[in-house]
Amino acid sequence: MKKRLLIANRSEIAIRIIRAAHKLGMLAVVFQSDKEPDALYLNYADEIIPARDSGNEKPIFLDADLIVKLALEHNIDLVHPGYGFLSENPDFAQLCVDNGINFIGPSPQLIRDMGLKTVAKSMAITCGLPLVPGSDGAINDADEAKAFADKIGYPVILKASAGGGGRGMRIVEKADTMERNFKSASDEALAAFSNGDMFIEKYLQNPKHLEFQIMGDKHGNVVHLGERECSLQRKHQKIVEEAPSASVTPEMRKEMGEMAVRFAKAIGYYSAGTIEYIMDEDGSYYFMEMNTRIQVEHPVTEMVTGVDLVDWQIRVALGEELTLKQEDIKISGWAIECRVNCEDPQNRFSPQTGFIDKIHFPKKDFIRIETGVHSGSVVTPYFDSMIAKIIVKGDNRADVIEKTLAALYDFSMIGLKTTVPFCRTVMQHPDFVDASYTTRWVDSVFTPEMLENEEEEMIGALAATIMYASEYLQLSSDLPTYKNDSLSVWVLNKRLNY
Amino acid sequence: MGTSYIYKRDASRLFIALRENGKRFKIYIPKESQPVIDGIEQDIDFVEQEDFHYAFDWNGKRFHCELVSRDQNKAVVKVNGVEYKFSLESLFSYIRRGMINSDSNKLNENNIVAPMPGKIVDIFLAEGDLVNEGEPILSLEAMKMQNEISANCNGIIRKIRVQSGQSVMKDELLVEISSIDE
Repeated sequence: MKKRLLIANRSEIAIRIIRAAHKLGMLAVVFQSDKEPDALYLNYADEIIPARDSGNEKPIFLDADLIVKLALEHNIDLVHPGYGFLSENPDFAQLCVDNGINFIGPSPQLIRDMGLKTVAKSMAITCGLPLVPGSDGAINDADEAKAFADKIGYPVILKASAGGGGRGMRIVEKADTMERNFKSASDEALAAFSNGDMFIEKYLQNPKHLEFQIMGDKHGNVVHLGERECSLQRKHQKIVEEAPSASVTPEMRKEMGEMAVRFAKAIGYYSAGTIEYIMDEDGSYYFMEMNTRIQVEHPVTEMVTGVDLVDWQIRVALGEELTLKQEDIKISGWAIECRVNCEDPQNRFSPQTGFIDKIHFPKKDFIRIETGVHSGSVVTPYFDSMIAKIIVKGDNRADVIEKTLAALYDFSMIGLKTTVPFCRTVMQHPDFVDASYTTRWVDSVFTPEMLENEEEEMIGALAATIMYASEYLQLSSDLPTYKNDSLSVWVLNKRLNY
Repeated sequence: MGTSYIYKRDASRLFIALRENGKRFKIYIPKESQPVIDGIEQDIDFVEQEDFHYAFDWNGKRFHCELVSRDQNKAVVKVNGVEYKFSLESLFSYIRRGMINSDSNKLNENNIVAPMPGKIVDIFLAEGDLVNEGEPILSLEAMKMQNEISANCNGIIRKIRVQSGQSVMKDELLVEISSIDE
């Protein structure tokens, strides 16, 4: 009998996991949320479980008890949590295990340990990973934070022990503002994670975000698949990622990769995982945290290594031994991922919701599209703003930047604004081209005016004029037709009745 | 590619698109040919047209334009996902507005006077016609020579003060032009 794999997720990652399940001859089962009943991923699944979550406080993807209850009713063998939602929730993983469902990911205990940054850091120290100077554990109050900051020097950053996604985080430039910042960060953390514990560390002014992909099995084998650079972020969330990183030399790759593998082996890690590093301007790097899920940006690693990470996640969960050997893993070419979020880059990346009238993706051998939407889809306020990812592979960095820019120009969407124009700006900016960009780029360099260009401005003026002229002239019988007779601009005249 | 263009005579087909940042486009939409933008005929192809959505090909690139909002003569257009806001004027509303706010708008009245005494032989244009800088407006015969009197700016002929066959003195007012130059 075919194994039944349930995906406790939605959108593009659900479709990605369905593909992996089919590759292994499994049946892919998904939830249909009432908050998104016509979602695209439903079309790809073998079986759909109606979640009937319309009356619930949280959507099905966040409701661990309901997921497990429905999984048991539908004879599910394995659950893939995707990313976000419950993917790094140890209680959910434990609940699956307790009910005899194979949770695709590491052990619940490891998810718990890695989720608590103070615990993760003490484990990292044991394994000899470099850490940003900071408090070993949680600090109790603003006075203690001040004393610590005096020791390591300002600026410092306050972070929630249980935090993530930028919440419960504050940068403190000087002692005067410590008290206020400590309180607001701690309150925010308490509200978001039901845990107000804070820790403090030195704040790097212009860091790069690097991360190593690892894959381990249940037999003690772990390999790394090189790094990704994810320095291009807005609101502490990634928007463009690349693999490999121009800031990592082969020697560093070996050193940082081996360190990641050593750490994973020491803690008994299996499944896909990511070791995050932060790198200072002088090239020194520090361990940040470990993510115990498949990541949004995993395709860039797949593009340059040829390894199917989701496939291996499932096989490892089934107890298979890794056949990948470190010496066989080669990085070839360069890959860039651009996230297509329904956000307005001209207006502080504010989310956009509504209908996608029409969406067109570029199609090329070297382009991979992961999308959760198609023409006619609805973008709701209930879920994340990311609707698709455009992943491009090139021979080298210059080549992939050029190809990515062309791919972004070949993308079009009518209806809502997206981050694509922002990604186009990034591809053409000298800081990205010379790879000197850091996680501060959006805040310190980017301005909305950089999204504009003179050609588009002129064409915009023409389009606006044609729309206006078609009313003004009121000459429907006297239609200029611009070469193509079938396309009469002025027909609009009749329709533009405001 | 674009060539320098002599405006056709129909002033009702010339529009001004003003961006919030002060940038201004003079757009002439002829009946049969390509649009003329700031005096240059542009080889722009219409490739798609639906309600509120146009796609153009120009310079080897595709431009998707979407009307985002419209309020009187103000329009917000999204071009390849980026919004641009314009206020639109016909030439006549532009000149009228220029006259009302003559302080804020550098709209000039240009007078063309006779450079020498002579006789008006021919008038090539009429009131309300568009005229390009350097374009002949009328012919003045003096000392048995015919001199073409040309426009000193781009604009619209507001008033022609003379008639064919009329004799004029030096510095006599011939033509008034409302300039549309910066």
